Amino acid sequence: MFVARSIAADHRDLIHDVSFDFHGRRMATCSSDQSVKVWDKSENGDWHCTASWKTHSGSVWRVTWAHPEFGQVLASCSFDRTAAVWEEIVGESNDKLRGQSHWVKRTTLVDSRTSVTDVKFAPKHMGLMLATCSADGVVRIYEAPDVMNLSQWSLQHEISCKLSCSCISWNPSSSRAHSPMIAVGSDDNSPNILAKVQIYEYNENTRKYAKAEALMTVTDPVHDIAFAPNLGRSFHMLAVATKDVRIFTLKPLRKELTSSGGLTKFEIHIVAQFDNHNSQVWRVSWNITGTVLASSGDDGCVRLWKANYMDNWKCTGILKGNGSPVNGSSQQGIFNASLGSANTSLQNSLNGSSASRYIFKIEAKIPATNSVFLWDNVAEGKEEEQLHNIWFQKSNVSVSLLGFCRCVASIE
Amino acid sequence: MEKMARVTTALGGNALTGRTMFCHLDAPANAISVCRDAAQVVVAGRNIFKIYSIEEEQFVEKLNLRVGRKPSLNFSCADVVWHQMDENLLATAATNGVVVTWNLGKPSRNKQDQLFTEHKRTVNKVCFHPTEVYMLLSGSQDGYMKCFDLRKKDSVSTFSGQSESVRDVQFSIRDYFTFAATFENGNVQLWDIRRPDRYERMFTAHNGPVFCCDWHPEDRGWLATGGRDKMVKVWDMNTTRAKEIYCVQTIASVARVKWRPECKHHIATCSMMVDHNIYVWDVRRPFIPSAMFEEHKDVTTGIVWRHLHDPYFLLSGSKDSTLYQHIFKDASQPIDRANPEGLCYSLYGDLAFAAKESLISSDSNRKPYIGDRRHPIFFKRKLDPTEQFEYISSSSALSVFETDVESGSMDWFVHTAKQYALAGRPLAELCDHNAKVAKGLDRNQVAQTWTMLRIIYSSLGTVASTNLNHSMGKGSTALPLMNSFNLKDIPAGLGSESRLDRSKGESRTENILMDSSSTLINNEDNEETEGSDVPADYLLGDVEADEDDLYMMDHENPHAEEQEYSLPQEAFPLRHEIVDNPSALDHLQDKADSPHVSGNEAETVSLTPVESFSLISISHSLYENRLPSDFFNPIVRDTLLFYAEQGDVQTAVSVLIVLGERIRKEIDEQTQEHWYTSYIDLLQRFQLWNISNEVIKLSTCRAINCLNQASTTLHVNCSNCKRPMSNRGWICDRCRQCASMCAVCHHVVKGLFVWCQGCSHGGHLQHIMKWLETSSHCPAGCGHLCEYT
Repeated sequence: MFVARSIAADHRDLIHDVSFDFHGRRMATCSSDQSVKVWDKSENGDWHCTASWKTHSGSVWRVTWAHPEFGQVLASCSFDRTAAVWEEIVGESNDKLRGQSHWVKRTTLVDSRTSVTDVKFAPKHMGLMLATCSADGVVRIYEAPDVMNLSQWSLQHEISCKLSCSCISWNPSSSRAHSPMIAVGSDDNSPNILAKVQIYEYNENTRKYAKAEALMTVTDPVHDIAFAPNLGRSFHMLAVATKDVRIFTLKPLRKELTSSGGLTKFEIHIVAQFDNHNSQVWRVSWNITGTVLASSGDDGCVRLWKANYMDNWKCTGILKGNGSPVNGSSQQGIFNASLGSANTSLQNSLNGSSASRYIFKIEAKIPATNSVFLWDNVAEGKEEEQLHNIWFQKSNVSVSLLGFCRCVASIE
Repeated sequence: MEKMARVTTALGGNALTGRTMFCHLDAPANAISVCRDAAQVVVAGRNIFKIYSIEEEQFVEKLNLRVGRKPSLNFSCADVVWHQMDENLLATAATNGVVVTWNLGKPSRNKQDQLFTEHKRTVNKVCFHPTEVYMLLSGSQDGYMKCFDLRKKDSVSTFSGQSESVRDVQFSIRDYFTFAATFENGNVQLWDIRRPDRYERMFTAHNGPVFCCDWHPEDRGWLATGGRDKMVKVWDMNTTRAKEIYCVQTIASVARVKWRPECKHHIATCSMMVDHNIYVWDVRRPFIPSAMFEEHKDVTTGIVWRHLHDPYFLLSGSKDSTLYQHIFKDASQPIDRANPEGLCYSLYGDLAFAAKESLISSDSNRKPYIGDRRHPIFFKRKLDPTEQFEYISSSSALSVFETDVESGSMDWFVHTAKQYALAGRPLAELCDHNAKVAKGLDRNQVAQTWTMLRIIYSSLGTVASTNLNHSMGKGSTALPLMNSFNLKDIPAGLGSESRLDRSKGESRTENILMDSSSTLINNEDNEETEGSDVPADYLLGDVEADEDDLYMMDHENPHAEEQEYSLPQEAFPLRHEIVDNPSALDHLQDKADSPHVSGNEAETVSLTPVESFSLISISHSLYENRLPSDFFNPIVRDTLLFYAEQGDVQTAVSVLIVLGERIRKEIDEQTQEHWYTSYIDLLQRFQLWNISNEVIKLSTCRAINCLNQASTTLHVNCSNCKRPMSNRGWICDRCRQCASMCAVCHHVVKGLFVWCQGCSHGGHLQHIMKWLETSSHCPAGCGHLCEYT
């Protein structure tokens, strides 16, 4: 259930990006009016603008937070062909009294010859790194060798994607088994059938990023791309905003199967594809556990997608941009979007339209020789057929935690 | 030439046709100008001076005006202008300061007509009067503007700007006598052509040079100026003070501005450096260009609308030696590619959503829905005051969708993290506790998992919990100390006897191995921790006896082996000895395969405080079927993997920690490390520092374990002699005193030490806290007023 809280952003042109910080207490917005605003959450949950300043001389496309370990640091990128790194200054000043904080520009990255369309900090374990992509199809990766000195960034890699880039996403996985990886989306709208999502992986041997995969099925302009928080998964999930919402899983094949020392090969599956927005999809964003995907499109709605225990992705909620519910969800204006972790939301409804709850019942049958314990969902609603009659039995012993909410123990 | 003589006036109903096209010039262009019939264009540059006719499909070179054998500097043009009244008349501004007029009607090859050599430096701009045939105006780097009558040999009048170089001069289109001049110092001057002595009006328009200006073709008072400060400003000159009515911020210094015909608010600009594109702006929306032409590869030097009344055709010349005709429908529109929405999921499940108002405003005026009682929606709409529909929605609405406490938010994660018990108690208890926690948060599946883990692993372990209860009964107060009590209470001889009774020979040696390593650990730890603050981990803590004794006395317990399994291995603060030396544990695990039946099993079960009846029976049946506990390891492993794949790394890591050695080897090190880092990162996101530290401490991966030892260095000075302490120990090398004495109790502080940064006295956290509750002075008696926050 969501409660909409409208904020008078007071940007003088379109807001292009919203970004929460690491701890979810601060928010940054950027707009075509060339400014960035920082919002702090107060105790009672209100958002207060604590800083607003002119950052670029063109539309600011994206704003993103660095890991707080590096300080309160923002990066922005703009139509004016630059990306900039900003740091909040702590100190006594009159601004403080007015509840305003002061941000100073630490560096301007001027390597691009065209509009810089996205900027993202690398996952923390890689150090203080920053990737930008630009409309001329170049992804640049910068590194601040000294994390204390935010004004020194060296251009480490330049990846030419050959297509106008619109968005990038770092693979957040912190596993040593996963080499650094970056996905690039292109909004090139020329009628070609080139893959609009490319995935580059860092090769330890050559010390370069090389193209690992291209999602050949995505041929329409891509506006946003997002890796899901990895959280210990062995595979990666990638959401793509193009003319529809798509979710891909990338399962790294075992190293020994691939050519030695080469790039990781991936088994790519498209697990979901939704055109419910009926229009361009502009943004995708994962929740913190990577279990719920939010997407927004030209229809002005935010839709929430979530997988059920069968790994079927479904819409679990629709939010209208102005905070009003969309007709059709039968809950008197309350969206029942379950946002818990996938595993915990047994009791949450799986589809937004029914408020059904899964009641958890333990059935225990203990015959003298053969013990079968079945924890089963007694489901009310649509999932019933799927839920029943799937259980696991073996001659000897088996304890299995099946799928979403099923535990079967059978002991002979 | 006949074609050139033809006179056409307005568009006459036939719209221009054509396509985006270009032709290569031989040299970079400096300026272009178009004939008023929109059929021909003149291109001038340092090394080029040509007339092209604009055909349907291409540019066709008509005439090269650079004639003569030796190129004269007079041909080196900074500017060119085609007369809008007389189609045979052109004027150029030469870089050597000469103003030249050209008459295309001349029969000879050389069309040069008149030569005015009055300026001393480069002439930046020439301009014909819009309605007067013979009047020509020039502006030069030397700071003067001159007005020429083409029927005379010399200038009619000279205007001195009395400031710096003149960059642009433009006759007003509506006011017959007025012209505007822009200067390198940022000023704009208005002159009356009849009064050369003094300007009518002057104002500072830009920071730095004003490179160009353009009068609005319809609105008589509007003057647009562009400067090096990257701005385009529109001034209303009707009022007594020039008023800035619009300001467009571009990304590079503005070289040319040209109002778009028939579109009141549109203006085309090009830049002098860096940026090669031509932008068409709607001045009311000063941030995003409404159209953009990206064809040129080098700086665009001249832009001109092809026809006075046609807004769709733009001609441009560039330093890249091309001449382009741009068609508006081929322009790229940055706003189409600009993302109209922003969306971000916060940590707590809140969604921030910003969207263009037009996308969401269709029914935005609905009243707040009933479901929301707490926060009324203040929906502010900022309506654009302008009339044109296309920009009415140039603002975004920002809202944050907050999740409810009950349904969506991540509270469950925080609560789980805080309440889970990961170590310090027997496995069964940990599992029960955690199951209860999970159940309390309505996470039934996780609760079931815990319960099952308990069943799987502590069918043997229940014995231990029984023992626990017994020893509790004996009067031990703190749970963690249970084992140490046992060890101490029971005479060594008895222990070894019972041990011989119950255990097989091999297992005994292994136990010894095991114990010796743990003893080592304990000894180490004893040095570091104070007896009173024994952390919960020290199941075997406080063993004072030496190792030989230990060999004899360990496992006095009749269910020695069972108890081993029940001990959560991670409950020892694991050091590298164990990590490096897993072989002993391996044997132990192997040992576990052999079934053990203990006599008091039934009693154990009945004593266990388990709520669910079925669970008891399971453990019972499991036990009776004599299944070794690690039989289930693959299944448990699959469970953990399942949870991890589901994104619930919390459960995976918690189980991993609680089960410790039982499951560790089932999952490869890298995966474990991955889980740990993910979970720790998540905990830190939620600012659960203590819990993340606990997880780090309890983790068995070396890479994780060292996390909280990295990047924290504390340099300590001796509190007596103020010398830096050596790295070893707490005894100061110089004054031979222990440095870290508690100022309150005068004992050595190990563990948490708090001190005042003013006087550097301090001591046990608890003692200092207590002290400062009653007194604000330093407990050491130094007189300092200590602050403790």
